[in-house]
Formats: sequence, C-alpha cells, structure tokens
Amino acid sequence: MSKYVLKRFFRSILTLIAVITVVFLLMRMMPEEGYFGEAGTDKLDESQKEAILTNLGLRDPMHIQLIHFYSDLAKGDLGDSLIYRPNVSITKIIKQKAPYSIAIGLSSLGFALILGLSMGVVMAKEKNKLADKMGTFYVVIIRAVPPIVYYLFIQLYLTQIFKLPLLFDIDEPSSWILPTFAMALGNIAGYAMWMRRYMVDELNKDYLRLARAKGLSERKIMVSHVARNALVPMVQYLPASILFTIGGSIYIESLFSIPGMGGLLVDAIQLQDNNLVQALVLMFSVVGILGLFLGDVLMAMLDPRIKLHSSGGGR
Amino acid sequence: MASDVKTEKIDKSLFKFAEYDSRNAELIGYSNYSYWRSTLQVFFKNKTAVILLSVVVLLLLFTVVQPYLPNQHSPIKINVDADGLQLRNLPPSSEYWFGTNSIGQDIWSRIWSGTRTSLFIGLTVGIIELIVGIFVGSIWGYVRKLDPIITEIYNIITNIPTTIILILIAYILEPGILTIIIAMSVTRWTSMARFVRNLVIIIRDREYNLASRCLGTPLHRIASKNLLPYLVSVIMLRLALAIPLAIGSEVFLTYIGIGLPVDIPSLGNLINEGRMFIMTPSLRYQLLFPTAVLSIITISFYVMGNAFGDASDPKNHM
Amino acid sequence: MNNKKNNEVVLSVSDLSIKFELRGRSLKAIRHISLDLFKGESLAIVGESGSGKSVFTKSFMGLLDSNGWIDTGSINYKGTDLAQFKNNKEWLKYRGGEIAMIFQDPMTALNPLKKIGHQVQEAIELHQNIKGEDAKKLTIEILGDVGIPMPEKRYNQYPHEFSGGMRQRVVIATAMACKPNVLICDEPTTALDVTIQAQILDLLKEMQRKYNLTVVFITHDLGVVANVADRIAVMYAGDIVEVGMAEEIFYNPQHPYTWALLSSLPQLGTKGEDLYSIAGTPPSLYKEIVGDAFAPRNPRALEIDYIKTPPYFEISETHKAKTWLLHPDAPKIEVPDAIKRLHEHFGGNR
Repeated sequence: MSKYVLKRFFRSILTLIAVITVVFLLMRMMPEEGYFGEAGTDKLDESQKEAILTNLGLRDPMHIQLIHFYSDLAKGDLGDSLIYRPNVSITKIIKQKAPYSIAIGLSSLGFALILGLSMGVVMAKEKNKLADKMGTFYVVIIRAVPPIVYYLFIQLYLTQIFKLPLLFDIDEPSSWILPTFAMALGNIAGYAMWMRRYMVDELNKDYLRLARAKGLSERKIMVSHVARNALVPMVQYLPASILFTIGGSIYIESLFSIPGMGGLLVDAIQLQDNNLVQALVLMFSVVGILGLFLGDVLMAMLDPRIKLHSSGGGR
Repeated sequence: MASDVKTEKIDKSLFKFAEYDSRNAELIGYSNYSYWRSTLQVFFKNKTAVILLSVVVLLLLFTVVQPYLPNQHSPIKINVDADGLQLRNLPPSSEYWFGTNSIGQDIWSRIWSGTRTSLFIGLTVGIIELIVGIFVGSIWGYVRKLDPIITEIYNIITNIPTTIILILIAYILEPGILTIIIAMSVTRWTSMARFVRNLVIIIRDREYNLASRCLGTPLHRIASKNLLPYLVSVIMLRLALAIPLAIGSEVFLTYIGIGLPVDIPSLGNLINEGRMFIMTPSLRYQLLFPTAVLSIITISFYVMGNAFGDASDPKNHM
Repeated sequence: MNNKKNNEVVLSVSDLSIKFELRGRSLKAIRHISLDLFKGESLAIVGESGSGKSVFTKSFMGLLDSNGWIDTGSINYKGTDLAQFKNNKEWLKYRGGEIAMIFQDPMTALNPLKKIGHQVQEAIELHQNIKGEDAKKLTIEILGDVGIPMPEKRYNQYPHEFSGGMRQRVVIATAMACKPNVLICDEPTTALDVTIQAQILDLLKEMQRKYNLTVVFITHDLGVVANVADRIAVMYAGDIVEVGMAEEIFYNPQHPYTWALLSSLPQLGTKGEDLYSIAGTPPSLYKEIVGDAFAPRNPRALEIDYIKTPPYFEISETHKAKTWLLHPDAPKIEVPDAIKRLHEHFGGNR
C-alpha cells in the first residue's frame, strides 16, 4: 500500500509542478496592461511602464523569472494584488477569504454525502421502480442543465418561499442555508448516481449467490455486503466532488455575495488583476490535486486488493 | 402416467428409424444476434429516449431553418418604433414572441441564434476531440515504447481540474467562439484517446481477437465486427454530450465575464442579461424563456446520448 | 453399495417445471422432472451446458433468478413443499441450515473486500447460534478442518491472498459452517487445476462422511462422476432422460443420449480415430418440445421419437430411462462399440 501511495504522491507532485509552470508561462502571455494597477494605462508614459515591469521582475529572462516564482511560492509568497487591493499581499487576502469558502464548501459536501449516498442506496434497492425513476429524473436534470440556471431559480424562488435572506450575511445564520443547499445539489446527484451504479454492480456479483446460499437475509446482504462494498469505489468520486464544489463556489459566492475565494476569482477576472487570477488558479489547482491524492490514499486504505495491482496505468 | 403410455396402443409402424438430417441437429439452437439491431431495439424500447430523439431532431432542424421562416427578426438588430425609439423590454407579443430585451432586440431570435452558436461550439469540440483522440489513442496503443510516457502525461493532464484550465485559457485569450473551442478541447480529447488506446490493445491482445486472427480472419473484419460497434457508440455518446457541455461552459465563462462578447447572441449572454431582472417580476420572462429553451436542449441531448450509450453497450443486449 | 430401497427419502421432487421470462418470451428450462434424493447418498446430475442442471438444483434453495419461477410440481423436504414458498422469509428457514450449496468458480464466490474468517463466521453466527469469540474459535476450527494451513492467520486474510483451491476450501468451510443436511455442489472442481480437483473431491467425500451429508453433484465431467457418485441422473434439455446407480449408467446405459455422452469420453477413443462428438446443439427451450428432445441429434431416432414423448421404462428397481428403444415394439439396436469398451476401461476401478 505504501508503495502505491508513494507513487501517487509523486504523480501529484509532478502534476503540481506541471500546473505551476504552465500557469506561470501562460500568465506571461497576458497583455501587460494588467500590471499597471489603478494608475491606469493612460496616465503612464512608456518609460514609467517599463520601470514598473522591470521592478516586477518581468523583464528578466524567462528562466530567472520562473526560478523566482518557485522560490517565492516555496516561501508561501503569492505576490501582491495589482488592482483588486493594490500592493496588498495575496496571501493575506486569501487568508481572509478562505475560511468562508472552506466552511460553506465542507458543510455542503457533508450534506451532499449523507443525502446523496442514501438516495443512491434507495434507488438501487428500488431499481426501475418509482423511487428510482424519480431519483434518475433529478440526477438527469441536475447533470444536464448548467448549474447557474437552478442556482438562479433557487435564489429567486426559494428565498421567497422560505423567507430566507437573498444575500449572505455573516451575522445571520439562516443566510447560510440556501448557498449550502444550492452548492450541494450537484454533488447529491453525483453521489446518488454513482452509489446507485456501484450498488447495482455489486448486486450482480457472483459472491452474492454464496451469501444468499448461506441463508443471509436480503437486509443483511444489502448492509454488510452490497452497500459496504459499493462504498469503496465511491471514494474515487470524492475528488470530483471537491472540484465540483470549487466550480459551484465560483457561482454561488458571487450570486449570494459571500466574501470567499470563488467570488474573489470572479472579481479578479473582471478587474483583470493578473497576479490575483494567477494565485487563485494555482490555489484551486492545489486543492483539486490534493483531493485526487486524498482519494487515492483512501482507496488504498479501504480496498485490500490495491497493493497487488498498483502498476496499472491510469485511473 | 408412464404406465398409461406403455399400455396404450401405439402404431407399430412408428417404431422404425426416422431419416436423420445432420442440418436439423444444428438448426435448433441457432441464435441470430446482430449488434446493430440489438442496439436499436434496446434504444427504441426506451420511450423517453425516443421522444427526446425526436425533440433533438426537431430542434436541430428548427435552429437551422428558423432564420428563413417568415416574420423572424434579426437577432442583433435593435428594433425601433416609428419615432426611432428603441422598443425596450417589450413583453411577449404576436410580433416579438418572447418579447424584447433592454435594448430592443428580439429575444426569440436571439435564443435560436445562441443555440446555433452553442451547437456549433459543441460539434466542433466533439469533432476535434474525435480527431485528436483517435490519433493520440492509436499511437498510444500501437507504439508500445511510448505507452508509459503517454500514460504518465495522461495521468497528469487528468489530474488538473478542467474548470481551472477552462478559466485560465479563456482569461488569457481574446474572448470569442474560437477561445471557448480551444479551452474546451485542450482537456476533452484525453478520455477519447484513452478509449481508443484500450481498443487498440484489445484488438492486439484480447483472447477472442487473437483466436479470430489465428482462424485467419482478416484484420479489417475484426475491426469492423469487434471494434467498430464500440467506437461508433462512444463517438455518438461523446458527440451528444459535447453539446450540453459546450452550453454549460459558455454559460459559465460568460457569467464570470470571459465568455462570448455581448455582441454575439449566445445562451450565456441571454442568461446574463436576464439575470439583471431577477428582482423585477414583470421582466422575468427575459430569464425564463432562455433558461427554458436551454434546459430542453441540454436535457434532450444528455438523455439521448446516455440512452444511446446504454443501448450500444453489448452488456445490455439481453 | 447400500440398497437405496431401505433408505429414507430426504428430498422428493415431483413433476417439477420451471420457466423463465427472457426478452419478453417465456422459456421452459425444466420440463416435468420427478426425482427422489436418498439420505446419505451422493447423486451426480450430468449433462451438457444449458441442460438445466443448475436451474434444477437452485430451485431447491429458492435461488432462481428473478425472471424464473416454478410453473408446476412440488419439492418436498421434511414434509414441506418448498415449491409453494412465495417470499424470502420462508426460504431463510431452509437456506444454508438445511440445504447448502457450493459454486463453480471459487474466484468469484467470495466477497473480495471481506476477511475470509468473517465470511465463514457469518454462517456460524446465523445457523449455530454462537456469537463473538466462540464463533471465531469455531470458524478457525472449521477452516483447519477443510485443510487450510495456519487457520488463525488465514482468518484475517482477504480472498485475493488465497489460491483457487484454497478459496474453494473456504467456500466448503462456509457451507459446512451452516450445518446442512443436503449439500449441492455446482461444478465444484470445473474451475480448478487438475491436481487440485482430486483434493477437493476427497475433501468433499470426507465432509460427507463426517457430517452425514446428502450430496448432489452437478457436473459435466464424467471423471468426477466416476470418482464420487453412488447414483447418476442424466439430464438433457430440462429433463432427466436416464437415472440409475453409477454402475448401471456406466455399464448398462440405455438412452441414446447417455450413449452419446459416454462415447465422448476421451479415454474411450481408439488410436487413429477421431474422438466421438455429439453433432449439433441442444434444442431451443423457447419452443415447445415434441417427442424425444434428443431425436434431432440422434442418427438412430425412431419416427415415434418425433411424435410422442417417451415415458420412463424401468430396467431395474433403481434404473430407468426415457427412450422408446425400451418399448417391446422397438427394433433392437446394437450398443455402440465405445460403450462396450467402457467395461474394459473402468472395469478394474470399480
């Protein structure tokens, strides 16, 4: 198992290096206006612009810039914001914003996990019956329709129906409910769909014949064999759901005015704050890669067979 | 019961040998399985999928034909009244079926124009995915030496969150249709490549194909009988799913401000415009109509693609 | 060999028909079988794939696939007609504890994500009313009994750490842990290496002696049959065409299908000649079978074989066959050469 985890760890590191390098190189292709901050492009003459760029180290040879970039990153320095809050350290901005995103993200993940898994179990047990069809209908709608559509309708109608606040307010606990709920919808669909699929897979496995021949009740078979085994591959879906939560946070935080990282990204993009966009893109990638690695580790812990075939290519 | 038969009078002439035809022996257990027929059978059994297939076909036809129908407005023309004033925020009427937007453009024709844009993006991404995927996948599977390298590259690319790549590329490049196509295509080819690679390896190593080759079956026959069905079904599935994905990506990028510029009518732009009126009940039609059409399109393609994917999976051909 | 007449009937099947619904068509997998199972015997059911051997025995445990059902007939066990059971709850009283089953492929018969010990212990806790540490002790004992070395250590291992033969031992241990009266072995050795096969068969014989089990073997391997069976039932297209003591079937077979089956034993081939094989395929069970189901593949079929289903003709008290050839009016047929050779071949063994 440790060899498998080690291998996955190195792959994650490799991915991280690739992502950092690509992000860095791509960001150098950006129009240089993004670096002049609130002074604006018009007020500065060419020599002033040149001075700013040199100051930022952008006139150094590319490989020197890259080395600087890496050594700064290693020190936890993501650079300064250019336009959003000029000359404020991005690390500091993120420190203020991250707790909101983490709190809402984790609570929506937990909520989705409980609801989605139970929904998947029920759908598998009631396969092809009404409950399954209703569940499938929900899954299809959620997965097919772009999330913004139902986020908008949640904000539009559910706030009225349940008399909940339209926008986020740190001092108003009820203002957490809708964003958390909305952010969970997609993951509920995902968990339910995969849990149903894995349960149905397990239900067709040969070992159940022996379990039945032993005289185990269907209930016991469901709980201690089928659902238990189906949960193991579900771990693979965890990283995807973390990514989905990040994607959702970009919409939700800006819709409900939550002062988190997702909303910050939208602001940074609209203000063309190159450094901030770069830092946030990197942060999100790290979370995504970390999630994948976490999934691999959990998988190795849960599936006793994994140490045997760790050499298989791809996932 | 047994004794009844024994005491019963049976015509003695029946106790002579019957003619034996070895072909009869073979005939009885014959199964006439055909992959494509079974696929269609399974598909057409799924009533929802059949209805949505008709919806998709009609939608496709309609989006193409719509501009040439009588009484259609231009999606970008700003309509004015006799005094030259913009016909802003007109509610749905017989003239402007879905009303007009805040600068007097016809929402009905903008929806279909946006749908055309999205369909174009989706199909283009799908075709790029196909070409790149099949090309890379074939090399990946065929050249054994490259396998570990491409596998590692694949693992790294699939490790990077797609949304992040989408945002990054759209942020760096000029906003436009081409940018969205590039941003989507950069990661999407990987799963097709992996699929093709596995197919190539199957044709090389899987026992039934080995057996088939030992019996002298020509390669093209193995490919067309054992591989093509899988390939075609996956192509259909991915093409169908590329369209809801293209719509979703465009809407997402437009929402965060790096999608299509406002002068190109698109579903994302329509939703963004409609979003402004979320607090004005009388103008909500500007949000409701585009989202309704968009939902019908994405759901139809999604369900149809999956139904075809299921139907073409031989495991479901029971 | 003990005289079956004095023996107690454990399980009595009469006029059993089983149907399946497949792709909207109904299929008759078992066609009016009647058969008694005697206490302590080992009965082998032989026949080619698709003859309905597995379906037949699965119906004793209520383990038919959900698209199959018992159409006619009864399965009497200890005064209860199992064929009347409608729900799982009724079956749970018999499954495992009274009738247990082991399966063909030990590689897939065990839950890959559960420790071996727990899988056996489950059966003990269910049927022997022992829990916790005691159940664990007994599990380890049974694992040792079925020939698994170092059972304490193996208790905590997972199926993938076991070889095929060892897994089949675990499967047998699971069945034994249920303390059944009847054990159904569905092709217990087919998926195993030849060297392991004999070990597993020996183990099963030992278990049969130790627990006084009635054993039903389902197999298409006549070698296995010769090794273990007291009595043989030959199945073709969902019906038992001939049944008798092992000697009777091997040395005095009467049904043309039994001849064909025995003739295809490789041991009976003569140098320089092609091995015998039965031409054609079994009939489609979707269609109603008229007459003798084997007739179309039988080069020496009679005309009546195409018209009327033959009844059982008794050859001895224990031996009967469904073929018109045993009718007094039937022409006399020379037994195939290969069958004659059987005697020379196996005569010494039995």
